[in-house]
Amino acid sequence: MDTMTTLNGIFCEVFDEESLQITRATTADDVDGWDSLSHTNLIVAVEMAFNVRFNLKDTRVLKDVGELVDLIDRKLAEKG
Amino acid sequence: MLVESQFNIGHICTRYQCDLGRADKVAMRWISQHMEQTDYTFAELDQQSNRFANVLAGLGFTPGDILFTFLPKMPEQFFAFLGTLKLQVIAGPLFSNFGEEALLDRLGDSKAKGIITKKSFLKKIGRVRDQLPNLRYVIVIDIEEHQSDDILSYSRLMHDASNRFTAPATSADTPSVLHYTSGSTGNPKGVQHVHSSILSQNMTAREILQLSEDDVYWCTADQGWVTGTSYGIIGPWSIGVTQVHFGGGYNAEHWFSILEREKITVWYSAPTALRMLLKEEPELFARCDLSNLRHIFSVGEPLNPEVIHWARRTLNRDIYDTWFQTETGAIMIANRPGIEVRPGSMGKPAPGIEAAIIADDGSPVPDGEQGNLCVKPGWPSMFVTYLNNPEVYGQKFRGGYYYSGDTAYRDADGFFWFMGRSDDVINTAGHLVSPFEVESALLEIPEIAESGVIGAPDELLFEKVVAYIALHDNCEYTPQLELKIRLHVSNKASTIATPQEIFVMDKIPKNKSGKIMRRVLKARYLGTDAGDISTMEEE
Repeated sequence: MDTMTTLNGIFCEVFDEESLQITRATTADDVDGWDSLSHTNLIVAVEMAFNVRFNLKDTRVLKDVGELVDLIDRKLAEKG
Repeated sequence: MLVESQFNIGHICTRYQCDLGRADKVAMRWISQHMEQTDYTFAELDQQSNRFANVLAGLGFTPGDILFTFLPKMPEQFFAFLGTLKLQVIAGPLFSNFGEEALLDRLGDSKAKGIITKKSFLKKIGRVRDQLPNLRYVIVIDIEEHQSDDILSYSRLMHDASNRFTAPATSADTPSVLHYTSGSTGNPKGVQHVHSSILSQNMTAREILQLSEDDVYWCTADQGWVTGTSYGIIGPWSIGVTQVHFGGGYNAEHWFSILEREKITVWYSAPTALRMLLKEEPELFARCDLSNLRHIFSVGEPLNPEVIHWARRTLNRDIYDTWFQTETGAIMIANRPGIEVRPGSMGKPAPGIEAAIIADDGSPVPDGEQGNLCVKPGWPSMFVTYLNNPEVYGQKFRGGYYYSGDTAYRDADGFFWFMGRSDDVINTAGHLVSPFEVESALLEIPEIAESGVIGAPDELLFEKVVAYIALHDNCEYTPQLELKIRLHVSNKASTIATPQEIFVMDKIPKNKSGKIMRRVLKARYLGTDAGDISTMEEE
């Protein structure tokens, strides 16, 4: 399963909306309930699902889903 | 401002402004989350709210019925709010990140007859609908056709409704806006306001926020909270001010682009947002032309002096902190232009407001000493009851004063200084969260046997929600359980109620009557002495 597909499932779980379809261009303004507090939930869920760790600065500057996907892929590559 | 004793908020904010010659003036500049702009004149605001009043009348709503708005910030929310009030139906704005339990508490307690929402929120309402026998209509803004007899298309209803409506003569004491607020015990309480609140909101918008009809004003508050209605709708439009409303969330670049591009003259925001701005790169502010910006105000939680110093240094302006509550309906104590800003202070009482610091026994507290922050009743925007809870309402008034639940002191020069809450309610990012509600949500998780929730100091949020839990035998605290807890509270209650820290204990401290001893938890968190624990339940 590719990063985007896994991530879509995480979004559905975190935002309690099974029909949610994200794209690389999706931003917090496009998803109901994606605020700074639920963003923390999202990051915890992503870290757990991909078995990676982010630092605060990495996740604070994310502009859209595409940047999150790139960050996950980068962390996975670092892990080898 | 009043015409022949017509106190109707919907009328004054729309039709009356047209009658004053402002029909073609922009009332609302709507900026979508993608920064697209749409203008609505006062005439359009009047017509759209008239249509909505006719929609409700056509559905059989009558004065005193209750309609909730459950929408993110969007133009339809403003049309619905004003139209509801025009018909003398009570308008109950809800925070759009509420979960189904929060909805059930509010819609159930109020016996609401209707709710206006969007399609993606229908699921939350659907999960509790069978427990809401009084809820007759769900109006959905983004479906083209009616789904059933009670799930109705907003656009279809509005299309079929007349844009002409005359608000009935509305007396000062007619119920208007219903906001729910959290207490330290029990379910949230419905704070009922009346149409005369517009007198206080109009006066403070002029005297404190210094608004006049030539201003371009931006209040960032969500309409689910009292600031969003009192100062994001009523006060400014009662003066005929052009308001900017932005559909996106916090985004420093967007925000400063709006301030500059829209030539905002008065900006009302919250300390958490201002503290987030403080962390941004200074170049962002340096390249913005804020020459039109006269004043910045803040509300929701105490504004720390660092933010004021940052604004002086970076924006070359003061930030004026203001204090009020859902119950007060309008600003009671404030810093404002013309009065020295003492960083960290709440400022001085608004014109006509008599504030006092009073001890628990009702005696006045000398200047410089901490006590209960109280206000002499009688201001026009004072709430008139807690819906279905007159007993608790009565407890808020003692010895001729309203007890706010906040503690503060007054200095020798008459400035008030916030100290904290006299109860366990958590103020996180300017929103009050009931520890009881979070504890209840936690107990719905099968692994959790006991829970206790406190507010702890937080650099960004002012206070954060901290949960202590005890697990059932054979249950283990894992990262998966932590995520489950976070998502459960977030989706059932509200994102703002989500615990930021979770600690596992063998047993939650309780007194001999079984009451959670939150002060013991707080002392444990802060590493301080818990004080008298003689009443604590023994192991």
